[in-house]
Amino acid sequence: MGLTLTVDGPRWRDHLRAYADAAPGLVPVVKGNGYGFTPGRLARRSEWLGVDTIAVGTYEELPEVASRFDGSLLVLTPWRPFLPDLDPALASRVIHTVGRVDDVDALLTRQPGARMVLELLTSMRRHGFAPRGLWEAAGHLRRHPGARLEGLALHLPLAQGSHLGEVRRHLNDAVGAGLDGLDTVWVSHLTRDELTTLRSSYADFTIRPRAGTDLWLGDRGALSVTATVLDVHEVDRGDSFGYRGRTVPKSGHLLVVSGGTAHGIGLEAPMGDSSIKARASTLARGGLDAVGFVRSPFSIDGKQRLFAEPPHMQASMLFLPAGARVPDVGDQIDVRVRYTATTFDTITVS
Amino acid sequence: MTYDVRATTPAEHLAYVDAQRAASFLQTPAWGQVKAEWRRESIGWFRAGSDEQVGAALVLYRQLPKVKRYLAYLPEGPLLDWTTDDLGALLRPLAAHLKAQGAFGVRIGPPVVTRRWDAAAIKAGIADPACRRLGDLAPTDRDAAGARVVSQLTELGWRPQAVEGGFAAGQPRHVFQVPLRHPDGTARTEDQVLAGMNQLWRRNIKKAAKAGVAVRQAQGPIGDADLKAFHDLYVHTAARDHFTPRPLGYFRTMVDALGAESPDRLRLWFAHHEGDLVAATIAIRVGAHAWYSYGASSTDKRDVRGSNAVQWAMLQDALAAGADVYDLRGITDTLDADDPHAGLIQFKVGTGGEAVEYAGEWDLPLHRPLYKAFTVYMSRRG
Repeated sequence: MGLTLTVDGPRWRDHLRAYADAAPGLVPVVKGNGYGFTPGRLARRSEWLGVDTIAVGTYEELPEVASRFDGSLLVLTPWRPFLPDLDPALASRVIHTVGRVDDVDALLTRQPGARMVLELLTSMRRHGFAPRGLWEAAGHLRRHPGARLEGLALHLPLAQGSHLGEVRRHLNDAVGAGLDGLDTVWVSHLTRDELTTLRSSYADFTIRPRAGTDLWLGDRGALSVTATVLDVHEVDRGDSFGYRGRTVPKSGHLLVVSGGTAHGIGLEAPMGDSSIKARASTLARGGLDAVGFVRSPFSIDGKQRLFAEPPHMQASMLFLPAGARVPDVGDQIDVRVRYTATTFDTITVS
Repeated sequence: MTYDVRATTPAEHLAYVDAQRAASFLQTPAWGQVKAEWRRESIGWFRAGSDEQVGAALVLYRQLPKVKRYLAYLPEGPLLDWTTDDLGALLRPLAAHLKAQGAFGVRIGPPVVTRRWDAAAIKAGIADPACRRLGDLAPTDRDAAGARVVSQLTELGWRPQAVEGGFAAGQPRHVFQVPLRHPDGTARTEDQVLAGMNQLWRRNIKKAAKAGVAVRQAQGPIGDADLKAFHDLYVHTAARDHFTPRPLGYFRTMVDALGAESPDRLRLWFAHHEGDLVAATIAIRVGAHAWYSYGASSTDKRDVRGSNAVQWAMLQDALAAGADVYDLRGITDTLDADDPHAGLIQFKVGTGGEAVEYAGEWDLPLHRPLYKAFTVYMSRRG
């Protein structure tokens, strides 16, 4: 009865199915906290979707998904020589991402038949080859006949105008490298229209879109997050409470609800929204902070309530001013969370 | 490896061109005489500190209005080893030389192919309503060497120029070519080239022969009467097909300049039917690259298919000369069946050749404010 994610199963599955049907070659991304669902659950869901490959973020994440999904496992973080050897049982299922010339030889020396995608440095500037590095890598690959080149990987920034120009430039670089057997491109963050255009002008390539957020969280209406009211205390102005012995500014109720820092509640994770409006609301929250209380992500009857003090590890204390409806112990209240930073106590899929 | 770029004589330039398997005719010294309105210069690349020439170019200096600064234009050039992985070593001394000559920017047209589409692919593309441009269609071949040139130019700060518009519209990026050799390098026979054509083309060639169309050529020093005959028919064609004809004087200069360079550089072709001129064309060849350059046809007697007859004669001539490729020059990239230009591509597709995409034209600004002013001026003019 803690922090609970309730999933409208039929609606969620319909969305997943529709998304996968519209995105041939889809590679579901199953990394980190599994977008709140846990990676294991998403691995099983991917098996149900019938895809042949899923992507994880790191090598450490492989064991949790490998037993729940039977297909290929693409690791998004580039392979590095300091990584331990793979579990031999997984070796043939794992597709490595390689982004440095030295790593091509190092990986193939350790695992001569390794499957790999070559990542190109995009405008993200995160990992990957510059064009000349790719030319060199092509030469190295030719010296390792056992290597299995599974394609080219592009990790694009979130859309700011069209990505197609950049994708074309990278594909040109890849063609220039003269990579034997290069016929697949793994991409993220392309719109439907961009994918359609790409599939037509690069019909000689297989385009494999990677998707995480848009796939798993694409229909927010199918998801609801609730916390449980654990205790309720009536307070008067001036009463002291909490770890730090703060005093209540006016009469009302203190609510103890499930959900704390251990769940990811109360972390000031950036919302990925940098509009003026979003920045103004950040400022407004700061204003409340000056008064003493901070707006919480918990809401009762549609109204967001204030934290009475910073969240605890597994519970939070809210202040409810006099006049508001007071929920009972055991009631569920709504919580707004950032899914990629939240751990739920219970996940219920109908 | 480092290189020097310096001016050469037209004779040295021509000697370098003649030593190559092929070069664009726009990169011959003679072409500079045809474009007499611009200052021209023959330049060469030499291994640093030696006289070993490793490249050549014709530079046309096009003056910016009111200022004594130029856009250095190297149409379909320069003539270099484009397969190098160190293009910068060749292009940096070029930029330095041109800057010293007063250029505010350079425009080149690397003669490297990036993509090819065979006739079957184009036919399918025209039939598919979702496919509007060549770029929407997966190519039959992507050229790694061409892609490398594009990567390197991008890396070196050159800017790709849009296909449409630009300075005097630039040179076409997409052309149509009939390969005259098999992939293994052996020459195709006349029968094989003929068999590659579509049924309509073969039928029309046969029809012309049956109707008694006689094809003849004029080469070397071309007389006024022949040139006038070509030009009259060309002006007639321009009126019918709604394009602006070039004056007779332009062709006189072209025929004289190119003809003086080599006796088989330029030929005029005529197709007559019972004494009437029904088609006339200009063919150009540099080394192993043969072009169909200008064409004209009569409105009367279209049914004797003089155009097909003269094309076939030019193809046979290119084969006999040992050419690698018969080039029908520019096509637009449209595959939209409703676009009037689609008719042109369909005519050329009938030859059974392939659409070829070149790397396009690329600019390097040498004087940023002037280059910027120039692009603004061109966009307003356009």
